[in-house]
Amino acid sequence: MRAIAAVGRFGIFLGRFTRASLTHPPPLRRAMVEAWEVGVAALPLLIVIAAFVGTNLAVQGHAAFTPIGGQRMVGLFVGLTGVREFAPIIAGSMVAAKSGTQMASEIAIMRTREEIDALEVMGVQPHWYLVTPRFLGIILAMPAVTILTTAVIFTAAWAVATFQLDLNPSTFIEFAESVVSPRDLILGVFKGTLFGAVISLVSTYNGFYSDPGPDGVGESTNRAVVLSAVGCNLLNFLISQAVYG
Amino acid sequence: MIELRDVHKSFGSAHVLRGVSLDIPMGACTALIGPSGTGKSVLLKHLVGLHRPDQGSVRCFGVDMGRASEATLLQTRKRFGMLFQDGALFQSLSVGENVAFPLRHHHGDLAEAEIRRRVARALEQVELNPASAERSVTDLSGGERKRVGLARAIVHRPEVLLFDEPNSGLDPVTSDAIDKLILRLKGELGMTFVIISHDILGVMRTADQVGMLHDGGLIAYGPTPAFIQDESPLVRAFLSRSLRRDPDGHFLLPSPPEL
Repeated sequence: MRAIAAVGRFGIFLGRFTRASLTHPPPLRRAMVEAWEVGVAALPLLIVIAAFVGTNLAVQGHAAFTPIGGQRMVGLFVGLTGVREFAPIIAGSMVAAKSGTQMASEIAIMRTREEIDALEVMGVQPHWYLVTPRFLGIILAMPAVTILTTAVIFTAAWAVATFQLDLNPSTFIEFAESVVSPRDLILGVFKGTLFGAVISLVSTYNGFYSDPGPDGVGESTNRAVVLSAVGCNLLNFLISQAVYG
Repeated sequence: MIELRDVHKSFGSAHVLRGVSLDIPMGACTALIGPSGTGKSVLLKHLVGLHRPDQGSVRCFGVDMGRASEATLLQTRKRFGMLFQDGALFQSLSVGENVAFPLRHHHGDLAEAEIRRRVARALEQVELNPASAERSVTDLSGGERKRVGLARAIVHRPEVLLFDEPNSGLDPVTSDAIDKLILRLKGELGMTFVIISHDILGVMRTADQVGMLHDGGLIAYGPTPAFIQDESPLVRAFLSRSLRRDPDGHFLLPSPPEL
């Protein structure tokens, strides 16, 4: 029953956000600030995680294919898993962990301190003021974040394959290219951007409807990151199923 | 006139307001008192449409706040100013930016110099140095937060000013200073004041009429001198904690603070 009520409330939240965003001037300056913060906030963690995903894919691929004489398949394996699947979902996960939690906790604290009520009393539409710039910011940042993640995963895997596993670097790239087309790269960017939209809406929604007090802030932040992760992974599966299934 | 008619409000199984009817005259100071948890803040939020009644109506400036569209509500709210319990200041903005906030959103055509002038004037009205506009709100004391919140509430010259527990969380000296400030602004601004409080002394010093909420219902309401002579046992028990009595047992109004 509570789940049904939450879905209904999320629908109302989306309706108000959409209407407010379409009937008010876009807050472009604040959206640019948000985009910068999303990109910069996630960057260090993103590079470290993406690099280690790349290194591990190369090592695992090498370990799996060497017994059957398929070392050259490592490039294919990295292209298939790292570029097609992991890059957008890792970009989304890192942004959910850094920016999503920040969005949820900031707005939840504003709810607790009655700052959202204050906005409304001052005649300012709170969805437009709080949600729209964060949504636009993440949409603007995610393509770059996803491309960067893809590049780091691939480069790290290539480096391990070449310098540690003594594989031919050109062969690695040739085999990766055989399974990664420009369409796959565009689809990865599309997925990352879609995950960004999900993360911003889920996180701001949870902040918006947070219970008052420190417990409420903690719970809403936790819920935001869990639901964002579930939402992104579900979408990832559905898109992969639709495109590659 | 702000009119409330048979207002009911529940949150889950908690029936917070139970048929409150009330007329709040314009240009006067009206206070609603009562113990904590009796629905005072919920009632105040109905006046600006932050809550919509489950039953009954709330009319402000001829607008039914419970049934108005969001666009109408946002427009009508610009005629209100509100001081929240803890100020509800935006932490990411400076004092000056907080006070300027309603001007930037209500009067987009105002020149920057005019905004700065009005912010400085509002800060002076609440007895803060205009130079404090540059300060961070995180550096403010409880009393300063209330003053900045009040400056933000009056800077766009609203017609109705709402106070949600203006003395809560303040020491007696600061609380007294806030009472004096409210009394002085009442004389200066000529706005309609609505104060929600459980600080009986403060309310009796500033309000022209007082109502008491108990268990979600309005149990007494009238001009302040008449209100303190109300015979309701609940009212008398509540007032007896703060007001002195004359030899006949009648409650005495506290002397107004020196301005």
